[in-house]
Amino acid sequence: MQTQAGAGLVGVLCVFAFTANAQNDVILRVSGQISGGTVSLDREAISALPSVQIITTTSVTDGKHSFTGFLMRDLLDRLDAEGETVTAIAVNDYVVDIPMADFYDYDVIVADSMDGVALSRADKGPLWIIYPRDEHEVLQDIRYDYRWVWQLSQLEVR
Amino acid sequence: MTLRWNPAVGFGLTLAAVFLFAVLMVFSMFRMFEVENAMRVNAEHNMLWVLHKGEVAALRMAETMALAENNATDQDQISLRFDILLSRIALLNDGPQRRFVEGIGLAKELDDLTLTLEEIQPLIDKFKPADGPRLRATLEPVPRLFGRAANAAMIADWDELGGRLEVYRSHLRQTIASLIGIMLAGGILTVALFLSLRQSRRDNSMLRRERDFSGLLISSSGEGILAVDRTGRCTLWNDAMEKLMGKSAQQAVGRPLRNVAGFFDISPVREGIARALHGHTEHLTLQPLFQPHRDIPLRVDLRFFPLRNDDETLGAILFLNDATDRYKALQKDAQDRDRLEELVSERTRDLDNALQRERSAAKLYRNFAAMVSHQFRTPLAVADSALQRLIRRGTRATPEEINERATRARDAIDGLTRLVDSTMDAARLDAGLIGARRTACDLGQIVNTVCAYQRTTADGRQIVIRQPTEDPGTAFCDPAHAEQVLENLVSNAVKYAAPDTPIVVTYHSDAENLFCDVSNEGNPIPEKERAQIFVRNFRGTNSVGSKGTGVGLFIARTLARMQGGDVSLLSSAETTTFRLTLPRFYESLI
Repeated sequence: MQTQAGAGLVGVLCVFAFTANAQNDVILRVSGQISGGTVSLDREAISALPSVQIITTTSVTDGKHSFTGFLMRDLLDRLDAEGETVTAIAVNDYVVDIPMADFYDYDVIVADSMDGVALSRADKGPLWIIYPRDEHEVLQDIRYDYRWVWQLSQLEVR
Repeated sequence: MTLRWNPAVGFGLTLAAVFLFAVLMVFSMFRMFEVENAMRVNAEHNMLWVLHKGEVAALRMAETMALAENNATDQDQISLRFDILLSRIALLNDGPQRRFVEGIGLAKELDDLTLTLEEIQPLIDKFKPADGPRLRATLEPVPRLFGRAANAAMIADWDELGGRLEVYRSHLRQTIASLIGIMLAGGILTVALFLSLRQSRRDNSMLRRERDFSGLLISSSGEGILAVDRTGRCTLWNDAMEKLMGKSAQQAVGRPLRNVAGFFDISPVREGIARALHGHTEHLTLQPLFQPHRDIPLRVDLRFFPLRNDDETLGAILFLNDATDRYKALQKDAQDRDRLEELVSERTRDLDNALQRERSAAKLYRNFAAMVSHQFRTPLAVADSALQRLIRRGTRATPEEINERATRARDAIDGLTRLVDSTMDAARLDAGLIGARRTACDLGQIVNTVCAYQRTTADGRQIVIRQPTEDPGTAFCDPAHAEQVLENLVSNAVKYAAPDTPIVVTYHSDAENLFCDVSNEGNPIPEKERAQIFVRNFRGTNSVGSKGTGVGLFIARTLARMQGGDVSLLSSAETTTFRLTLPRFYESLI
């Protein structure tokens, strides 16, 4: 789905390339209590956000890995998101509610590459929510592990 | 309650309880930590969900393929479903999930599946409905594989969970047992604490009683008792001390001892306290203690003791005992001893004198024959020759002649009698038989008596008495002896004075003595004889032709000396003066 809401967007959203060009596939759609109602982001828009790197272990892989992406709160801030919860929805129909506070308490990123290699949809791509698990012991808990949504495609702020 | 607290057993039990308490505590804590660690559930235990999702992905892939064969869906959907299936397989091939699959023995099947999917990837990417049946046949065993794996995962999970719960239970049981042990140990400790508290209260009350008793002893003691701490500050001061020193306990306690009374700052007391503070015991006896407003000091005995606790000296205690009575008794003893010694020496002196007299008497008797032969022969010879003449004359003798010769003989016998008297006097003197009864005598009166007598017998010789302008006072002497001495001196003066010259008797005094000088002119005593005139039986060359026995001055001097006085010669060229000295007051003759 592609947005036709570009004309109504305020200036701050101009940093994102909202486009109808089918070449630039939308990889993340944000909806809910944000300015503009619904926003679709392609790779270019995502790479315009400040890049952040986290090196951490995960619950489903061995060893430490380097993840690169943007801070979830950067995105939410730019979209003026207001709400308690963000519902993350994955391509594989996985749905989970994540408290908004997580993104402000911890440097939670939305990674698009692991160890310098872009994440593919055939693995955990294109986007994977990564918590700084090694930096905070409280995050080493299954109640956080289920918030690591991979194959992320949609966010709904509520 | 009749429980008795045996300290050794109690201590051992308490120690054991504490030990048990600690060991069980550590053990149960260790177990709890283990449980706490084990309860962290890892996502790898979520295999059932992973496998279920894999099965769903495979089934949906097959469904999508079936739709695609009928052109009911598009290439994108096929790619999406295939990607999702691939991502499930990738997840299974990753770290912990891969190990689990290997654990349940399905690694080879997973590898085969992975390979198969890689092989059909090109066919998926460019899907043609004609490939549909072949692809479906290829993917047909995939859900079954996931199903089998899920079964195995469930069994492994439950086995693992059951085992884990069993471990938890066992750990919890051990922890519960430990807690019971801890409670028991705590109970023992509580009982021990209660008993030792009771014991300590009992000990305390006993201590208090003993302290009260000690306090009573100290306060009621007749001895002065004080204590000082290590800095020399008074910490104890009893009633007897207050009486001795005239300072109350309020004035003394808490102050440095040397500030309480000067007595404590005198060197022996200060050193005694210092030595006691160094752990030594010290004694001082009969120290003078001046009390306020009293001239005569008390005499006190002091005993210093260190106050020890184990090896540490905490202070010193001082006992002060009034020993004045003992001191007085000692002094009286010393006086008695002195008096006794004096008495003994007096008696010894008397005995010596007696011995001396005894010896003199013996000597007198020894010399008597010689004296008789020497001194007595002359008058005997005179009498004998006179009587011989008388006999030879017989009847021819005229009465005048008889008278003359008889008178000569009688004179000779008279002299002999006098000689015998004098000799006996001297002998008695020698033997100490003449004693002196000394009293206060008016010397002037004696002088008058003697001079008056001499005037009657001295053929009108002038005897002048020169009295002093001031009253010379009395002499302390035997008046009879003084008279005898003066008589001797005056009669000598009469005897030796040049004719028609007066005899002058002068008396005067100084602070200690009375003096009586008897002077005559003429017949001076030759220089070389002066030292000998007081020797018995000595007769000076100037006495030739006068009657005398040679013992008068000897007797005079001896008598004077017996009374603490003397007779001495003060001759000048013209005048011969004998001086009688007599003491004015009693004084010991020693």
